[in-house]
Amino acid sequence: MNHASIEKSIPLMAILTLLVVAIGGLVEIVPLFYLKSTIEKVEGMRPYTPLELKGRDIYIREGCYNCHSQMIRPFRDEDQRYGHYSLAAESMYDHPFQWGSKRTGPDLARVGGKYSSLWHQAHMRRPKDVAPESVMPSYPWLEKTELDFADVGKRMEALAKVGVPYSREQITHAANDLKTQAGLNGELQGLQQRYGKRVTIGEREPGNHPITELDALIGYLQMLGTLVDFSVPQPQAR
Amino acid sequence: MSEEKEVETTGHQWDEDEGYPLKEFNNPLPRWWLYSFYGTIVWAVIYWIFYPAWPLVTDYTRGLLGWSMHRQLDEELAQARALQKPFNDRLEKMGLAEITHDPQMLQYAVAGGKSIFGDNCAPCHGNGGTGSKSGGFPVLVDDDWLISGTIEGIANTITHGHVAMMPAHQKEYGGSFDAKQVDDLTQFVLSLSGQGGNKEAQARGAALFKGEAGCRHCHGDLGKGSARDTLDGAPMEKSIGAPNLTDAIWLYGSDEATVRQSIAKGRSGRMPAWGMGTEGTNHKLPPLAIKQVAVYVHSLGGGQ
Ligand code: HEC
Ligand code: HEC
Ligand code: HEC
Repeated sequence: MNHASIEKSIPLMAILTLLVVAIGGLVEIVPLFYLKSTIEKVEGMRPYTPLELKGRDIYIREGCYNCHSQMIRPFRDEDQRYGHYSLAAESMYDHPFQWGSKRTGPDLARVGGKYSSLWHQAHMRRPKDVAPESVMPSYPWLEKTELDFADVGKRMEALAKVGVPYSREQITHAANDLKTQAGLNGELQGLQQRYGKRVTIGEREPGNHPITELDALIGYLQMLGTLVDFSVPQPQAR
Repeated sequence: MSEEKEVETTGHQWDEDEGYPLKEFNNPLPRWWLYSFYGTIVWAVIYWIFYPAWPLVTDYTRGLLGWSMHRQLDEELAQARALQKPFNDRLEKMGLAEITHDPQMLQYAVAGGKSIFGDNCAPCHGNGGTGSKSGGFPVLVDDDWLISGTIEGIANTITHGHVAMMPAHQKEYGGSFDAKQVDDLTQFVLSLSGQGGNKEAQARGAALFKGEAGCRHCHGDLGKGSARDTLDGAPMEKSIGAPNLTDAIWLYGSDEATVRQSIAKGRSGRMPAWGMGTEGTNHKLPPLAIKQVAVYVHSLGGGQ
């Protein structure tokens, strides 16, 4: 085939161009789907509980990812500040992932359990109250807005369609599990049986108030980075 | 173009009918450019040999150097540890009180403790331990200790944490007193620090405080807190951590509404247990770090 015949046939030229450009993508992307070392097998990863899932939706809605990454890189200073570097497996159930690319505030990949829920309440209400030099905006409406979780089962079904292994049982119990985790007395055993022992139960002030958006957001934050136990050695990509 | 150069063409010609055929020149590339280009190809091949590069069927080529980002991190961390080892070994062997008497080790411990504090404690206790009323996070720079201000006591609080148990007292929130009784208690508590003026309510509140409501079992006979007050003349259990209600230092605030809320709904300030790891999380400080941060907190000014 000589040059002229390629140059004179637009369809042929288009196909060959596509082929050449695709090679770069194929070599870089396709192996990630089959190489075992891409997503290390680690113990502890589980899909989000309904409360965490709703909290995650609020995290995305409020644009927290514009200032916060969830991706600890394997560098000494990051290790010492945030803890073990992030593993790909830790975002395997994220659609879409929240790695982020900007750190106006600190990385949140391992913020779970670092603070009490009381601290998060005070911080989200007005960050300057606990960190006077903070430039993070206040989110006072979150604790005043009742959480609408009528759709949580449907959301889980949608995620199941793209590969998150939610079971039928998890989906049918979604609303109840959400209430239990938010701290309304519920069937704790069932929740732990469906999602494992590592679920943080929300702390609630005594009295009768609805579950708020803040409860869900804190539920999500308190889970971040806590599922994989790094005190026992984990297999990692070398 | 009038002066046609003697350059090779690609052989294509267009618009021959017009008399000025368009030809495509095949000018040689500048030498420096060409050789740089060949250079990058050679470099790529060398790189493939020494560094991780090509994906294969089940694995990828790892390169002769065996370099990996994660291994580099491990090495850097090991290097940092080796640098600190002589100091840390000495610190490990020393008792807390001993450290405060050795100027060089004190300096090392305080410097390390300060950065540990900044990462882990400042979010609640404020930069430099100045506290925050928004969540009842106590000031650590004064000598008004909830639990204990000795260096061992501080280290103990940090290791084991502390969960405050100030019960709710108003009926609506799970207590056993009505709103009016809570008002009376509030008036009495305010009077302990010289606030409030309703003498009758204070008297009723005082009776409740010392009697039925049982406040004195935690806050002490005089309301001076479990760290310094007595109960029926005997010293109190320090681990209660009930604050002094007679001074001007408040966890949550001194105004009537805040004090009332503390009594009506209860409070449960929670200091994480850094030596145990908060349940279900990875947040845990090694004993050495706890030692350093305890020395730092003790050095802030209020240490006993
Ligand atoms: C304008 C940028 C910005 C946005 C948007 C933002 N933050 Fe922050 N955030 C910060 C900064 C700066 C800090 C550090 C100071 C502080 O603690 O407030 C911070 C701190 C935090 C911390 C404490 C982290 C730590 O380890 O100390 C949490 C948790 C947090 N943010 C959550 C959120 C959530 C949830 C949202 C969305 C509802 C959000 N942030 C939106 C800037 C931002
Ligand atoms: C999530 C918020 C939070 C964090 C983070 C935190 N603390 Fe505390 N800390 C508290 C609260 C709340 C109390 C009061 C507990 C109570 O009232 O029972 C407290 C109490 C204390 C006390 C006892 C003070 C006294 O008067 O007896 C010390 C000492 C202390 N913290 C040191 C630390 C150190 C050191 C760190 C970091 C390693 C730290 N704290 C991190 C919330 C926190
Ligand atoms: C079981 C022990 C216990 C009992 C009983 C108790 N308290 Fe407390 N109280 C505490 C503790 C511990 C705290 C600290 C709360 C925190 O750190 O979150 C506290 C905090 C308070 C505060 C807030 C102080 C501040 O600095 O903001 C007030 C006010 C108070 N108590 C009043 C009372 C009154 C009045 C009663 C009786 C009706 C009472 N308490 C009964 C343990 C107790």
